[in-house]
Amino acid sequence: MPAAAPSEVDRRLPPLAWACAAFAGGVLLNVDRVPPWASAVALFLIAWRLASERAGLRLPGTVARALLALALVAVVLLEFHTVNGLAAGTALLMVMSGLKLLETRARRDQFVMVGTGLSLLLAACLDRQSLARAPLYALEAWLACSALAVIASEGLEVRAALRLAGGALLIAMPLAVLLFLFFPRLPGAFWAIPRGAEATTGLSDTMSPGSIVKLVADYEPAFRVQFVSAAPAPEERYWRGPVLHDFDGHTWRRSSGAFHPRERLQYLGRPYRYRVALEPTHQRWWLALDTPAQSPASNVSLTYDNQLVAAEPVSEPVSFDAVSYLRTRSLEPLSASSRREDTARSRDNPAALALAQTLRQRAGSDAEFVTATLEYLHRGGFVYSLTPEPLGADAIDDFLFNTRTGFCGHYASAFVTLMRGAGIPAHVVTGYLGGEWNPVGGYFVVRQSDAHAWAEVWLEGRGWARIDPTAVVAPERLRRGLLDLLPDALTTRERLLRSSEWLTRLLQQWDAANAWWSDHVVRFDYPAQLDLLGRLGVRSPDVRYLGWAFMLALTLWLAIIAWHIGRAAHPAPPDALSRAYVRLCRKLARIAPARALHQGPLSYAETVRARRPDLALPVRELLERYAHLRYGRADAGAREESIEEFRRAVARLSLPAAAPVNISR
Amino acid sequence: MNAVGAHEADADAATLARALETLETVILGKPAQIRLCLACLLARGHLLIEDVPGVGKTTLAHALAHVLGLLWQRVQFTSDLLPADIIGVSIFDRASQRFNFRQGPVFTQLLLADEVNRASPRTQSALLEAMEERQVSADGTTYPLPEPFFVVATQNPHEQLGTFALPESQLDRFLMRVTLGYPDSAHERELLRGGERRELLSHVAPALSAAAVLRVQRAVRGVHVAEPLLDYAQALIARTRERSDLKLGLSPRAGQGLLRAAQAWAYLAARPAALPEDLQAVLPAVVAHRLERRDPAGGGDGDEVAREVIRAVPVPT
Repeated sequence: MPAAAPSEVDRRLPPLAWACAAFAGGVLLNVDRVPPWASAVALFLIAWRLASERAGLRLPGTVARALLALALVAVVLLEFHTVNGLAAGTALLMVMSGLKLLETRARRDQFVMVGTGLSLLLAACLDRQSLARAPLYALEAWLACSALAVIASEGLEVRAALRLAGGALLIAMPLAVLLFLFFPRLPGAFWAIPRGAEATTGLSDTMSPGSIVKLVADYEPAFRVQFVSAAPAPEERYWRGPVLHDFDGHTWRRSSGAFHPRERLQYLGRPYRYRVALEPTHQRWWLALDTPAQSPASNVSLTYDNQLVAAEPVSEPVSFDAVSYLRTRSLEPLSASSRREDTARSRDNPAALALAQTLRQRAGSDAEFVTATLEYLHRGGFVYSLTPEPLGADAIDDFLFNTRTGFCGHYASAFVTLMRGAGIPAHVVTGYLGGEWNPVGGYFVVRQSDAHAWAEVWLEGRGWARIDPTAVVAPERLRRGLLDLLPDALTTRERLLRSSEWLTRLLQQWDAANAWWSDHVVRFDYPAQLDLLGRLGVRSPDVRYLGWAFMLALTLWLAIIAWHIGRAAHPAPPDALSRAYVRLCRKLARIAPARALHQGPLSYAETVRARRPDLALPVRELLERYAHLRYGRADAGAREESIEEFRRAVARLSLPAAAPVNISR
Repeated sequence: MNAVGAHEADADAATLARALETLETVILGKPAQIRLCLACLLARGHLLIEDVPGVGKTTLAHALAHVLGLLWQRVQFTSDLLPADIIGVSIFDRASQRFNFRQGPVFTQLLLADEVNRASPRTQSALLEAMEERQVSADGTTYPLPEPFFVVATQNPHEQLGTFALPESQLDRFLMRVTLGYPDSAHERELLRGGERRELLSHVAPALSAAAVLRVQRAVRGVHVAEPLLDYAQALIARTRERSDLKLGLSPRAGQGLLRAAQAWAYLAARPAALPEDLQAVLPAVVAHRLERRDPAGGGDGDEVAREVIRAVPVPT
């Protein structure tokens, strides 16, 4: 029947479209976590299914679907070599659900699609937990719930569905908060999801002349620091990252892995106590103010070159407390193995070697040699630039005698090469310098663009001394952030953001909100739960108390909901007379059946009389007084007093429990 | 004046109580129905008594007329009854050379319309017009009906053949519809033993008079209706309009009638103000004949609907 066809489509399309929307929302949330082809396939399949519904496009048959499924599984396997792990699992779920969409006919299938959308939301939540994404997640949850509403009740209007789902989510919100706060988060439980290889961010454990420049354009925060007391000056805020020892003439690397004893240090000056909140890098090092005095956590070791290295890569936000001293003195001579490692020279860069030896011969001591080298860099016509010319085969020679332009990596690299050329132990330290004060959150935010490299030189009798050769070339770099120094390094967007004061302020507030989010929401773990219990007054909190607290809070929440539902059925008494009457009825309900909602005062008096003839008279008198006050002619002034009198009479009314009723009569 | 009025009111209340007692001796075992009928008349409403033959409809109507001390006429409705048979006709008077209007039985204080659903719609509507307007028009002249004026109609619901069921618009003009039902066994025994009930009427004196009835009607209008009671009445009416299983909810006229009936009920209970209980007591009789289920097989008649409405609406506290 052609006449029935359009209405049939009109009727069937909305639920399907909603299911598709919920699924598509889940796909879009995961777009940056799976290979592009997976999201493309899923979105294409959605479009196909919708087109088939609207325009009658043919859908593939059973065989074609089976072949497609096999092919897609094969592609996932090719891409990941596994179906285990978050990224692989998400991609597989995405494409397989897309295929499932092609065979959705019944309402049940549409529910499955919405469920898939929610699973994809869950997958995204497991991996990406930044504040900026929270609203997107909430939107997807809302979308999916609205889709459920539309699918479940045909013909539900869009606005009604959105309102229904939104209301339900809001009601569920307190429960979500309860689960969040009190559901025991036992460490190492089943939800530890195997993660595939994740792209690392931030500093790496190698440094070639151009590598840091990639970070400079990255405005993302690397970590945030809150000092317990005063913070050191910006030019003293060196954040120690990977220490690089091996140099092949072009690239610096971490050490070969041989064992080196750690020299005992004497810490000088005042200690700086602070708390660092690291953003995930998927690298193993933790960043601390140079020089950290001890390891902040049991699974983190303080290496011989005073670096903090964790057992596991930082895949989630981490925060820790640390203590550092700005100056140290070594109490022991440099171990032979360390000396060997940090004086090793490659055969490349002969000119640099010659220069080093010349400078050393002229200088009276190692310290003087260091000064002379810095002087050389200062007066040698070197220019600080983030866009240096590329270097040739002998990179250091090319830089020192030819291009003479570069940034921290070049200078640190050249300086250490010169030191080693003169036989002085030296290595490159990478990390960050400075950090921007956020007055909103009261912390420093250190961005990837604050990445820096400097040198450490072993001076006899003093130990490792930090020398920053960049400082002599571009002293401003130390005091101000790199971005202030080289505004060209900024993208247009960032320049715009920094152009006005209130935008900067806004940016700081946003960063503070992010910090709060990752500190209090993302990192809210088992110890934090116990801490919360402690603050709630539990003396020795453990998982049992957590369970109790959860049950208690859940009961409370359900009670509140029940109370609200009950209150909707019994609207609050509007005035004093009503309150007194309701109280009277409540009292009477103890000795007789409760007043039915549709019962008036006099018929209730009959109900009470039937049960308790002995009390009939006083009860009837009170109920008649109420009836008169409520429905009778009001005698203006006296009414208030009469109501008050009635209230007192109700309060005074005492109803003996046991009635001497003679049943036989 | 005031003192006299108060005295008379007390006297009227006492006579009414007596009238009720008298009626209860005539119609056995139906005190609630009798009280409803009386309330209906005191609320200036017309009454429809609906039941199977032989349960005392006509006796009740007679008794009411008698006890209230009103002039009354009885019309047995048949299918060939004409409007003129009720209203009256103009007859040419030879002596005066003009038409004289001879008043029909409707010119009385209480008209007993027996088996009203047997008459043709035309005749029915003539009666119903008189009921609503309390006047009749004939040959371009309007004649007011006496005060007070009541119609007490009876009808047999089960008789189908040769009847014209009253349409909703006309049912709406009856303030109440009362059904009697069979007496319980004790009263039935008394009936069987006692002989013809209507004869009893001749032995009792009328309790009221037309003037007293008018006075009582005025007093009923003075029964206080408080705001909370109006709230409650509105909630009840709204409830009938919300229900999807009813063809129509209550009309505003029905609402007005409901309140008047409640006032009369309160007056009969000697209360100066109407209470929710009064509304509840009269509600089934006032609304049952106005509410019709969309689906006749839906179960439950108007009475049941009315009781459901009462149960569904909370009394204001």
